[in-house]
Amino acid sequence: LLISAATSTAVGGVAYARDIDPIGTWSCVVWGHPEFGDERVLFNFSTSGVARLARLENEAVPAWNGLTPWVKDDREMRFSDPRTGRQYLADLRRENLGGTWRTLTTTGGWWCGVAEVAVIPETREGRAAVLPPILPLITATPRYPIEAIRAAKQGRVVTCFFVDAAGLISDPEMIELSDEVFRAPVLAALERSRYEPRAAGDQLRPSCRSYTFSLDKLSQYEILSE
Amino acid sequence: MARLLIWVIAVCLWSSAGFGQRASVPQISQEQPDNRTVIGAVNEYLAAGAEAIRAKQYDDGIRLTKIGLERPTSQRDRAAALSNLCAAHAAKNEPDQAIGYCTDSLSLNDENWRAYSNRAYAYYLKRMFDEADTDLDIALSINPNARQMPQIRGMMNEKRLRGRVTMEEHQ
Repeated sequence: LLISAATSTAVGGVAYARDIDPIGTWSCVVWGHPEFGDERVLFNFSTSGVARLARLENEAVPAWNGLTPWVKDDREMRFSDPRTGRQYLADLRRENLGGTWRTLTTTGGWWCGVAEVAVIPETREGRAAVLPPILPLITATPRYPIEAIRAAKQGRVVTCFFVDAAGLISDPEMIELSDEVFRAPVLAALERSRYEPRAAGDQLRPSCRSYTFSLDKLSQYEILSE
Repeated sequence: MARLLIWVIAVCLWSSAGFGQRASVPQISQEQPDNRTVIGAVNEYLAAGAEAIRAKQYDDGIRLTKIGLERPTSQRDRAAALSNLCAAHAAKNEPDQAIGYCTDSLSLNDENWRAYSNRAYAYYLKRMFDEADTDLDIALSINPNARQMPQIRGMMNEKRLRGRVTMEEHQ
């Protein structure tokens, strides 16, 4: 599915990237400020421009909520959620459907995998069963790059990826990368991380992690005692 | 660390590069735009001292430079020589002596960024990072393009900053 979402095609010896086709149903992670928590939602985009969203934690019937029609502007996709005021934006040149959202006061991101959901169940349990959470088994912490410490660099990285049935991470993509110096340690940490294995054949599941790299200034006592 | 130390020492020696060039320079001291000091043949001990320090023969360099300082010398050359003594002592991990010589050097010529840089390194050795920061700021204001100052500041940051990574899972 990922391969069909964005492929490179050689034409006349020149390779170009094909944009992601958003038509269909996607299971997505929507994250924002930590205090507001994350959401696992389904997005559905039709060829006629209709965009819908289903919250898995929501028992409301009907499950789908209308969004503003999605539009493709150049190689970007835009739509918004009138209920939350979130304006979603996706760069369709990415390897996968996802991007950022913003309101007047907050920002966040979203990341999706193709969903094999035909009908949204009406109960919370039913919906949760559609997309059960994937549980981290080993969560590796990135090292703080020594060159970043020397240069007193702090930063933030948001990376999204897929988790296969064996719990392995694949196709990590940097959604936010404040400085290139943090890329390698984050990728190395993802490589060492694992999730709980799921049933064999279970589809790839989208997930994201954000990392905040910050520096603490040691006291004179701590400096002298080191 | 060893590589950085050599680099810092090299910084200091640069300020006296002219000492070894007495055959091709005038008999009087000339000030160059980058603060290198060119010394004439009148003080061959300072030239020999600078060469010895350049060759990492710090004890010889210190001895020769001290002899040179006992002879008549211009104020600028004296300042450069004191900065070299500062560098040599810093290289020997003797920051207290180094700071003394750098301070003496700066009292004669307070526009020599290398003396500030050398003293900052000596302060770094003593873990006196605030004082080192002050000297580095002054040195950078005199020569914003010098590579030595960010290097010393980076060494300090390694000692005084502790990295922390916080992670949040989104799903």
